[in-house]
Amino acid sequence: MSFISGFFWVMAVISGSTLLTLVYLDHRKSRIDDGIAQFRRHIDALSPEARRNSVQRNNDERWGR
Amino acid sequence: MARDLAIDLGTANTLVYMKGKGIVLNEPSVIAVNRQSGEVLATGHDAWDMIGRTPSYIVAVRPLRGGAITDFDITERMIRLLLQRVGVSRFTRPKVVICVPSAITEVERRAVTDATRRAGASDAQLIEQPMAAAIGANLPIDEPVGNMVIDIGGGTTETAVISLGGIVALEAIRVGSFDIDVAIQNYVRREHGVAIGERTAEEIKIQIGSAEPGPADRSADIRGRDLVTGLPKTVRLTAEEVRFAIDEPVAAMVLSVKRCLAKAPPELAQDFLARGMYLVGGGGMLRGLAQRIERETEVPVKMSPQPLEAVVLGAGHCIENYQALRGMFMGTRR
Repeated sequence: MSFISGFFWVMAVISGSTLLTLVYLDHRKSRIDDGIAQFRRHIDALSPEARRNSVQRNNDERWGR
Repeated sequence: MARDLAIDLGTANTLVYMKGKGIVLNEPSVIAVNRQSGEVLATGHDAWDMIGRTPSYIVAVRPLRGGAITDFDITERMIRLLLQRVGVSRFTRPKVVICVPSAITEVERRAVTDATRRAGASDAQLIEQPMAAAIGANLPIDEPVGNMVIDIGGGTTETAVISLGGIVALEAIRVGSFDIDVAIQNYVRREHGVAIGERTAEEIKIQIGSAEPGPADRSADIRGRDLVTGLPKTVRLTAEEVRFAIDEPVAAMVLSVKRCLAKAPPELAQDFLARGMYLVGGGGMLRGLAQRIERETEVPVKMSPQPLEAVVLGAGHCIENYQALRGMFMGTRR
């Protein structure tokens, strides 16, 4: 194997592994962001404002307020 | 297209919440069946009127005991009838969220979801009653503070500490207001030699039952069957006698609240002293029960303004926000 083809082999391996690492890190970041967004949605859906449309509306109708 | 539903399948009462509409059905969890043909003759209020008064070929039963399905076939038929009554047909299959006791076993959980799917639901998810009750009672469970809810139903007593949208500590026992009725029946049989039915026992509990002595203590005349002569007989029961008769189930309820308090992390425990505990469920309406829990735990107890509907309203909120609150359903927690 000549020096040039060996050099290109090494470069290809380094580039490939760098690309894979970048893809993995990006995916991991988006998964962390998903968790935060999901938890935020969960908490927001339990806020008094969110419950105003279902729970409080029913109570108000029931008690004639 | 069917509207999605939330069902509080309680031992005593069944309530149904329809997405976008609110509570559309509220009736006793009773079904009357013809023993010979297997036909359903009545459900709800009509069937409740039949309890203890049916000829031998009719049986009026509560298919749930202690929050668990005791008769799978009858429960499935009851759910199917409930769904039909709120407009579900074989072509419109709604998503259904069902409130169940937190102490339910894996087998019982499977029985409820299977019964609901076979009754016509496209998807059946379960939510724990104390969590639904906390949502329905409007407690600030989205905040990082300790919220304590005590749900006393017909067959179970469940106490939960909730913070940041999740259950932190939980204690559940299979003792509820029906055990109070049974205690009254047993007392009258043992001390007065008179047999009374479960409806009469419930009426006594409502009229003169209490967990703590109060200024409104009264007595009541009750009618039953003399165990010796077999003839109808009237006896007088005092509030003090009833209090003595029901002390065992009431003490078990209070003990379960204490056990839950002991499980709570110290940071949240201090919140209870300031914010109090919330009592929901029909069993919580027993006279003096809030005061008794307050006296024994030294934590203030507040009654929810709608104790009977809190659970189904909470489950209704979950069906209104199905995607955002999916993580609350049993078996789907991350």
